[in-house]
Amino acid sequence: MFYIHQTSCISPQQTFSNIDIEKVNEFTDNKMYVSEPAYDGIPAGILRRMGKAVRIGVGAALPLIKNAQKIDGIVIGTANGGLEDCIKFLNQIIQYEEGTLTPTNFVQSTANAIASQISLLSANKGYNVTHVHRGLAFENALIDVDMLLKEKPQNAYLLGGVDEISVYNYNIQFLSGQYKKELISNKDLYQTNSEGSIAGEGAAMFLAGGQKEGAIAKLDGIKILHAKDEKFIQQELKSFLKEYLKEGEEIDLFLSGENGDARLNAFYSSCESLLKEKTKVARYKHMTGEHQSASAISLWIACNILQTHRLPSHMVKIENEKKEFNKILLYNTYGNMQHSFMLLSNTK
Amino acid sequence: MTKVFVTGMGVISPLGDSVSLNRNALKEGRSAISTLDLFTTRYASLLRFGEIKIENQKLRDKLKVNEKGITRTTLLALHAFEEAIKDSGLNFSEISSFDTALIGANTVGGMCLTDELYHDANQEIKGSEYVASYDSASINMYLQEKFGIKGIINTINTACSSSANAIIYGARLIKHGYAKRAIVGGVDSLAKFTINGFNSLHILSAENCRPFDKDRNGLNLGEGAAFLILEGEAEAGNKKIYAELTGYNNSNDAYHASSLSETADGPYLAMKGALDEAGLKPTDIGFINAHGTGTENNDAVESTAMVKLFGNPPAFASTKSNIGHTLGASGAIEAIYSMLNLEHQEIYPGLNFHNSIPGTDLIPVQTFREMPLKHVMSNSFGFGGNCSSLIFSKA
Repeated sequence: MFYIHQTSCISPQQTFSNIDIEKVNEFTDNKMYVSEPAYDGIPAGILRRMGKAVRIGVGAALPLIKNAQKIDGIVIGTANGGLEDCIKFLNQIIQYEEGTLTPTNFVQSTANAIASQISLLSANKGYNVTHVHRGLAFENALIDVDMLLKEKPQNAYLLGGVDEISVYNYNIQFLSGQYKKELISNKDLYQTNSEGSIAGEGAAMFLAGGQKEGAIAKLDGIKILHAKDEKFIQQELKSFLKEYLKEGEEIDLFLSGENGDARLNAFYSSCESLLKEKTKVARYKHMTGEHQSASAISLWIACNILQTHRLPSHMVKIENEKKEFNKILLYNTYGNMQHSFMLLSNTK
Repeated sequence: MTKVFVTGMGVISPLGDSVSLNRNALKEGRSAISTLDLFTTRYASLLRFGEIKIENQKLRDKLKVNEKGITRTTLLALHAFEEAIKDSGLNFSEISSFDTALIGANTVGGMCLTDELYHDANQEIKGSEYVASYDSASINMYLQEKFGIKGIINTINTACSSSANAIIYGARLIKHGYAKRAIVGGVDSLAKFTINGFNSLHILSAENCRPFDKDRNGLNLGEGAAFLILEGEAEAGNKKIYAELTGYNNSNDAYHASSLSETADGPYLAMKGALDEAGLKPTDIGFINAHGTGTENNDAVESTAMVKLFGNPPAFASTKSNIGHTLGASGAIEAIYSMLNLEHQEIYPGLNFHNSIPGTDLIPVQTFREMPLKHVMSNSFGFGGNCSSLIFSKA
């Protein structure tokens, strides 16, 4: 696969500047909003017109663009892009009975607005694509980057996952049963035994390259699956590990996408049951909330753990004596149909 | 790396609900642009569109779809998907294999149901049957579940170049061993969202669009779906092969959110990159299926890019004058038209052209003719500067 050279993340936690994920910001209304930075790098006139998804996507990308010697293309995963602008425009259509409308919300609402704004602000004329396959949008972006780097290992690509909470998508997803009916604190996410999770949003960006030098992590493998059967997922995890884990290698940490939805626990427990005693188990959705691009944020968290060798205690589900983190397995399911495994290792 | 061949195709457009009906209409130089009969909007009789004159219930009956929550967009996609797999002769176990990828594109997903979405998005009481059908992924997730596809499933949205990028992604999955075959394509149906969106930008025409004409005054929105079956050399074997996908490129214009640069950087880079990927010279291209939307901006910029790259460009035309701009479907529909160019060694006339654009002075093909063709280029340029070009070659 490929190397990750730099990372950047805007999330509901302190992940952007003065990074501190030891403490957890609390949310009590089932919506975990990001804490937005000042966006110094975005001209004010442009910033004003940006919807939140575009803002956090561009905001997270800018530090990487600033530091990178060159970027050969931009590959973004986002299920919905600027949904808030989209529904704002939709509301205008209905409320003004298709009268004269201003195009700003329409232009900002297209899912490719994040990738295109990044290309615009960085004058990047390279490969530019937006993957929107719901809970596997980021994973497809990652496979895309893997192929790009196999084609041109000397190149560097900006890879990202972005999704926002809008009142509207919260309503739609609430109606389809994805969020809890009762209000809870994100700190109690795993103590609930009800259906649904809590909403989240965020943007994670990675500078990906084919060269080991200067890298902070290596992505060893990825697998995406579509199935409603946890036994099948378990079987597939076995073959994934067989394929990517060399003789004598161990998983130090299993980063689980458990999200407090009682309907999905069986997927996570059947994967957990394959792990040995040498593997710690940790969770992150109480930090991110649930959204289609949460796996992108989890990859940022995994990179952070590999770099610092620190696993915040609030994340721990199953502890052991190990002090170092060299291999992290990430598993996530979005809904009960879209699954992904990622294997990440330390390059030191 | 393996070559990638097209071994099957299916299309539903305003010109007809099969590949052969589309070819007949293209040969005759027929336009399917009209006012709206089925879709309800304030602009139904004020503007002109490429509407498929088949009601949803008729599509449902024909496709034997009884489930709730299925949008027109999904029905159109299923129609094209079924024709494509039938055409390729893929059996159930091949379709449902781990080696089969499904890459579909669209720009507004199930948002053709603008009024239902408005209702669902603005209250928390009781959802409609469509609550899980609005996003772009819902269409491909429906196809994936219906046919039990187990390989990589993806949805791409790069605005008007979406399905060209779905074709590129599917081909690369095959080349890199992520899949042995890929079912690739795109769909969009008419939606108040896009009609009002494009109208707010003042680029919809009340007349039949006039690609590359000096007095062009905007595009006609259309609807449609198309899927192609891509297979590697081993899988294609001695099946009927329509063409080889030899060249492709995706580049960004990096100029403006909703218009292309006068210098035509994105379109030029996409066409040039596709030639380089295919290892071809500009003179090797026999015909260009231009993006040619009929807007002031696109046609001027695309002309500039063609002149810049080709000097004296080869024969070209835009089928937007036949079916309108089908957005997320256009790249795949026009890829199929390119396949028909190659298979039958013929080119179809662009309609409604009278005078060339001063400066570039390019004249599109205006009459049907037979012509020896080895390589055909297909262009798709979108909002956000997303430009992609494909080259199909006679296998």
